[in-house]
Amino acid sequence: MRALVIYCHPDPGSFNAAVRDLILEKLAGQGAEVRLHDLYGMGFSPVLTAPEWAGYLGCPGNVAPVAGPVDDVRWADTLIFIYPTWWYGLPAMLKGWLDRVLLPDVAFLMPDATHKNIRPGLHHIKRLGVFTTCGASRWLTFVVGAPGKRTLQRGVGFLLRPGKRSVFAAHYLMDSSTPTSRAAHLGKVAAKMDRLIGRPAPQQKEVRA
Amino acid sequence: MNRVLVLFAHPCEESFSAALHKTVVDALTAKGWEVDDCDLNAEGFSPVLSAAERRAYHDVGPNTAPVQSYVDRVMAAQALVLVFPVWNYGFPAILKGFFDRVFLPGVSFRLVDGKVKPNLMNIGKLAAVTTYGGTRFKTFLAGDPPRRVVTRSIRYVCGAEKMRYLALHDMNRVTDAQRAAYLARVKAEMEAF
Repeated sequence: MRALVIYCHPDPGSFNAAVRDLILEKLAGQGAEVRLHDLYGMGFSPVLTAPEWAGYLGCPGNVAPVAGPVDDVRWADTLIFIYPTWWYGLPAMLKGWLDRVLLPDVAFLMPDATHKNIRPGLHHIKRLGVFTTCGASRWLTFVVGAPGKRTLQRGVGFLLRPGKRSVFAAHYLMDSSTPTSRAAHLGKVAAKMDRLIGRPAPQQKEVRA
Repeated sequence: MNRVLVLFAHPCEESFSAALHKTVVDALTAKGWEVDDCDLNAEGFSPVLSAAERRAYHDVGPNTAPVQSYVDRVMAAQALVLVFPVWNYGFPAILKGFFDRVFLPGVSFRLVDGKVKPNLMNIGKLAAVTTYGGTRFKTFLAGDPPRRVVTRSIRYVCGAEKMRYLALHDMNRVTDAQRAAYLARVKAEMEAF
C-alpha cells in the first residue's frame, strides 16, 4: 500500500494533528509506505499563477511547477485528506493544492478527437479517506450541503478508480468539543481507517484509457 | 451611496473570466454604482490563514488586524459580486482564502450562544458570475459545492434580499455564440442589479 496523506492545519497543536498522528500510526500498522504533505509545514503556495494557468493544458510541461507533489499523486494507491472545514469548505491552502496539483494528464484527461468528455486520470488510486473537523453542527452542515465533503468525495472521487473504497469522518461543533467528544472521534477515525485499509482493496476492473 | 465590492479571482487578463469581470464592472458603473474593484490576484492577496490568525480567530476586534483594509471594504459595500472560475468543484484558492481570512467572527457573523448570526446586513444584494469546466449534469452529481456556499452560507450572513447565481457550464466545449450569449446575460443582469 502506498498512501499519500495530505494534511492541512496551521497550528501544530490542533486536534487535526492528533487525527493525523493516529492515521499515520494505522498506516504504519499495515506496513504501508507513506508520503506526507504537511501543506503549512512545507509552505505550500496555494495560488495558481498566471503562467501556470496559461500553461495549464500544456502536457507534460504543466506539471513542472509542482513536479514533486505530482510524482507523489502518481505513486499513490491511497489518498487521505486531513483538514479543518472552514466556510463549509476546504481551507484555501488545501483547495490550492487541488487547483495546482490535480492537473490535466495527472488527474484527468481533456477531451480530444476520439474522446468527447473529460476522463478520470486517477484510476490507480483505490482508497480515499476524508477526515475533517467542523465548527458547525451536523444539521447546519447538512443544510448547507456539506460542500467541502462533496468537493473531495465526489469532485476528486470521480477521478479515482470505480469501486474504490471511500471513508469519511467529521467531528462537528468543534468549538464546543470536550476531551470525551474528541476521544470518541479518534475512536471513530480508527474504525474508519480499519475499514479503509484493513481489508484487501478491490481488484482493478478496467485499465486506464 | 450605492457601493458594490467586486471580488475577481482569475490570474489571467486574457481569460474569459477577465471578460466577465470587465462586463460586470462596466455594467455596474454605467448604472451608477460606485465600484470597488478588487482583483485578488493583481492585489497579491494571500489566501493562507496563518497559525496566529487561527489562534486569534474568535477574538472579535483584534482578529481583523491582519486584513483590516479588506474588512473595511466589505463593510463599506451595499452589494457584493463574485467573479470567478470554478476549479475542481470549488472556488479558486485565492477566493476561498478571502472567506477564510476576511469573513471573520465579528465581520460576517456573530456567535451568539454558540450559534451563528448574520452580521453583514450592509450587503443587500449578492451575485456570483462563474464558469464551470464540468457539464451541468456532472456539476449536479458533484453536488455543486460553490453554488451551495454562495447561495446558502454567504447569502445567509449577508441577509441579501437579492441573489443571482449565474453560471456557464462545459467551458472546454462551449461555442463562441454561447460565450457571447452568456456575456450578454451577465451584462443584462448587472444592469438590472
